[in-house]
Amino acid sequence: MRAVLAFLAIAIAGCATVREPEPGGPTPAPAPLPEPAARTENLAIAGLLDGARADAAAGRLANAAASLERALRIEPRNPRLWQELARVRLKQGDYAQAESTAARSNSWAGSDNALRAENWRLIAHAREARGDAEGAKGALEAAERQR
Amino acid sequence: MFDRAKFWRYSRYTVLTVALLAAAFTLYLDMRVRSEFEGRRFSLPARIYARPLELHAGLRIAQIDVVRELQEAGYGQGPREGEPGWFANDNDWLEVAIRPFVFWDGPQPAKRVRIAFEGGAVRAVQDAEGRDLPLARLEPLAIGGIYPANNEDRVLVRLSEVPKPLVQALIANEDRNFYSHHGFDLRGIARAAFSFLRFKGLQGGSTLTQQLVKNFFLTPERTLSRKVTELFMAVLLEMHYDKDEILETYLNEIYLGQDRDRAIHGVGLASLFYFGKTVEHLTLAESALLVGMVKGPTFYDPFRNPERALERRNLVLRETKDRGFATMEQYAQARAADLGVNQKAAMGTSPHPAFLDLVHRQLRRDYDEADLRSEGLRVFTTLAPRVQAAAERALERKIAQFDRGKIFGEPGLEGAVVVTDTQSGEVQALVGGRDVRFRGFNRALDAGRPVGSLLKPAIYLTALAEPSRYTLVTPIDDGPFVWKSRGAPDWEPTNYDKTFHGAVPLRTALAQSYNAATARLGTDIGVEKVLATIKRLGIEREMQPFASTLLGAVDLSPLEVAQMYQTIASGGFRTPLRAIREVTTQDGRPLKRYALAVEQAFPPEPMYLITAAMQGVVREGTGRSLSNWLPPETAVAGKTGTTTEQRDAWFAGFTGDRLGIVWIGYDDNRAARLSGAGAALPVWGEMMAALSPEPLALPKPDGIENVLIDPESGLRGDFACPGAVELPFAQGSAPAERAPCASALGVAVEGVKQQAKSWMQRLFGR
Repeated sequence: MRAVLAFLAIAIAGCATVREPEPGGPTPAPAPLPEPAARTENLAIAGLLDGARADAAAGRLANAAASLERALRIEPRNPRLWQELARVRLKQGDYAQAESTAARSNSWAGSDNALRAENWRLIAHAREARGDAEGAKGALEAAERQR
Repeated sequence: MFDRAKFWRYSRYTVLTVALLAAAFTLYLDMRVRSEFEGRRFSLPARIYARPLELHAGLRIAQIDVVRELQEAGYGQGPREGEPGWFANDNDWLEVAIRPFVFWDGPQPAKRVRIAFEGGAVRAVQDAEGRDLPLARLEPLAIGGIYPANNEDRVLVRLSEVPKPLVQALIANEDRNFYSHHGFDLRGIARAAFSFLRFKGLQGGSTLTQQLVKNFFLTPERTLSRKVTELFMAVLLEMHYDKDEILETYLNEIYLGQDRDRAIHGVGLASLFYFGKTVEHLTLAESALLVGMVKGPTFYDPFRNPERALERRNLVLRETKDRGFATMEQYAQARAADLGVNQKAAMGTSPHPAFLDLVHRQLRRDYDEADLRSEGLRVFTTLAPRVQAAAERALERKIAQFDRGKIFGEPGLEGAVVVTDTQSGEVQALVGGRDVRFRGFNRALDAGRPVGSLLKPAIYLTALAEPSRYTLVTPIDDGPFVWKSRGAPDWEPTNYDKTFHGAVPLRTALAQSYNAATARLGTDIGVEKVLATIKRLGIEREMQPFASTLLGAVDLSPLEVAQMYQTIASGGFRTPLRAIREVTTQDGRPLKRYALAVEQAFPPEPMYLITAAMQGVVREGTGRSLSNWLPPETAVAGKTGTTTEQRDAWFAGFTGDRLGIVWIGYDDNRAARLSGAGAALPVWGEMMAALSPEPLALPKPDGIENVLIDPESGLRGDFACPGAVELPFAQGSAPAERAPCASALGVAVEGVKQQAKSWMQRLFGR
């Protein structure tokens, strides 16, 4: 059931973040990309994500990160994958990377406020772990503002 | 009598001395044989792999590109029962029997997959039973190695993996009494002498053991003393080791051919090299071909001398049958088979030496050179074969075209290309010169060349980071400009078209690459500030804080330029360029992973604005000829670069998925009389067009709003303004004033039109 939910969440996130209006006015609207079988494309991501979560839960953090990077090569604009990677970095104790990877997730988050809030919470964790209480507070406030 | 006694005494001494010397010599040889044979570990090169192709539904790739990669990896067309390493296809389907492979994250067993294609993309990936698979990872292409001295390459095999017919054919032809002799074979020597006397040519007569000793311990000179030493050592070897150990070592040592500068050793590598399969799958005919080559791998080279090789193979087959190792039926069948060698381009130590060079340098930071050349490390890189091929082809073609024009003397025009993934910073392709197979001066890494206008985006980025002062429509004066500084001559930059253009909007100054406007802008902001931006973009080289630096009087390599543009292409996240993903030991134990790392170097808003401005370069500026290769929807962001007297032509640009840097020029700095748009951009365009790029569409940050601007006045326009363009602005920075053409209610349009001078007139008073 959780897998199904995660899968749906990714499917929705994937749809929401693919394209934004382009800058620079009168150019014709971009032709839609061929998107054959979006369902199964997400199957690839879902498979890798499941594997990464299992690895992370079992403490195989390097493997988890590797699977997430594989998934990101398929969908580099999927903010959930960046977020998951930030979470793994946090577990690995790489707080600088955890923070910037969560920021990267934010850059693709579009209007998904819940996702942004979670990223800011991750950033708060990372800053706290580095002893930056002030910065952590700021990040938590940013998380609150996302509602 | 007296003399006789003395003679005997001396004789005894002499005999004793000789015996002692002989014993010492034998002991010495024995020590050498044992220490070297036992301590002997074959030096195995670090093996370098391209990225594995991961197929999943939705991936945009044509079937032909997958097939090409499979062929490159030695996969044969048409099903072969019982062994992997083949593919079968029709229009819509491709079936692949993937060979087993040990990846960084563990072994992947052999498996059969079916891939459906539709409209230039993968529609579905299924297993042999028709169940959907999330992902099929193909075995990565081997793209070279870091070799021990003499460029010896081999793939070690165990005797148990080597098929019986191969061993039997070898014994039947090279050393029939192998299992019974003690290192040398009198009958063999006699036979050799006999056939020599009967004018049948010089035949070996050396046992496998002797051949091994010769290859292992001795120099190739042919002297009697060496022959004796060889004999001694062979006997000693036989005393210490059993036949199977000797045979296994022989099978791994034997020299079986040459691939450009790479020496093919051992049957493990030879079966991959000649037949594209692992040794256990060799047939009798294939085995006989390899055995036939022991005598002279060059003379019997099946690629160059197929007829001679075939004749030799059949001779080996007959001998094998005559010795009772093959039935008449097996013999007839093997004889009827064709050579079966896998025609593919020679690779040498690597088909992509420039990329290998980059990998090697990155490896040297973490590993000993000696270990790289002997430990058989497996290195998984980021090279994308399809992208590499497109980059090589585009550069070769364009330079050949210039050569045909014969406007350029010797030595010819040179070039370099770098392609990276915009999101991960992975280097997908690297070309170091016009001769893409040449291992030598690597221009992509080592040619520091003036970058000219390629630095301009850094100046405009610095400006756009201050939205209260600069927006995309802020007028910049492109009038004559003189920069005076103490102790340096006056600096008076001129424009490429030798004219000045008065006040132009900021985005136009970048799009048209106006030098005077840019110099004025850069000095207004401050050179130091611009240099800080360049540093933050990822350039580590120190730059002189001179005004001329602004217009690119700075030497950078194409790879450094790629690092700088990478930060822009990934929306302000600095991502170190990587060529390696993972390293494992020879047997697949993970050693090191080079993880994806990002660092936010700039807030998203100015990055969004500079990207929009760089899209303007391609849409309507110096890069507009790119429309010959890519449709406007791709919305490429880029920048041309041309240096003084047109010595260097550059184009740097990115799509949604790839960043490419192209440099063209002469090694000796002659004026190339080529512009960035005229020489480098066509290479870029041709290369990217071959890769069906993803359109560039940055996510719009919160702090950005789009405003319709009247190009005539540079003020807020609306649908009533002809040619109005929608431009991004940092929140609140767009001009507040409405353009005269705007159909605002309650405004006496005519009156405004008459009163309003043009925005430029007001600003500059002319």
